[in-house]
Amino acid sequence: MTILSKTFTVLGSILLAHACYSAREHTTLQSPRATAAAGSVSLPVDIIIETIVSTVIIITGLVLGTKPLRPLEWRVWAGKIEREGAEGFTDNSGKVDRDFMGNPFSVLESRPNFVDIRKQRREFAEWLRQKDKVLQGQ
Amino acid sequence: MASERELQISPIVQESLVHNTRNDNQTLNNLHSLTASLLGVAAGILGLESLAGFAFYISFSLLAAALFYVLRVAPSSLPAGKSLGDTSRYFRRGGGFEFWTGGLLGGLAGYPPRSGEGAAPPPHRRAD
Repeated sequence: MTILSKTFTVLGSILLAHACYSAREHTTLQSPRATAAAGSVSLPVDIIIETIVSTVIIITGLVLGTKPLRPLEWRVWAGKIEREGAEGFTDNSGKVDRDFMGNPFSVLESRPNFVDIRKQRREFAEWLRQKDKVLQGQ
Repeated sequence: MASERELQISPIVQESLVHNTRNDNQTLNNLHSLTASLLGVAAGILGLESLAGFAFYISFSLLAAALFYVLRVAPSSLPAGKSLGDTSRYFRRGGGFEFWTGGLLGGLAGYPPRSGEGAAPPPHRRAD
């Protein structure tokens, strides 16, 4: 995406610079009498078209270069995190945003108050007993 | 009152709001200022002044907003069930006006046509 955006912007800038140069040349070379007769300066149509087209191309490039938006509503945003994880919050080059902090409710997943310490002690004792058994077997 | 209740029913994420609108994150505001100075250059080349210049500026900043909508907002907000032209998935509810016309006010300071690059000849040349 970022390459596409840069290509558009550079292409548009070249066209715009060319249009600018052409307009400059045109006004310099236009004879003063013709200018006076027309009343005002008129650019050739091709320069006008080139300017407008290049402007549109650059704007497209700039729009493509903007960072992807994030959903505003909490439920939509949290749902996106849950479904896509960090992949849903990347910039154009595919890097995860620095301020991505993951699931907003992850603190609820590891509450020390709810740890069953007796069960953990039992599991540890079991593991210790098995290790002893293995060692004795050797 | 209604909007406060609505916010309580479906709260919004402040970080996302900041990310989508503020300047430092290269999204909407930044796009508007870049577009405005670009339009200044283009208007200078075309030699547009006063009313024509403003018409050019207004139409092209609306075009930029439309492009932003088509390329950035619509692909994900239409499948989410929002109606066409509804930006409330990413921008504040009731901020539709702000979205479409934000570039007009925000970028105006950067707009004045770069007449030095333009097609309009200097006055003494015109007097010949």
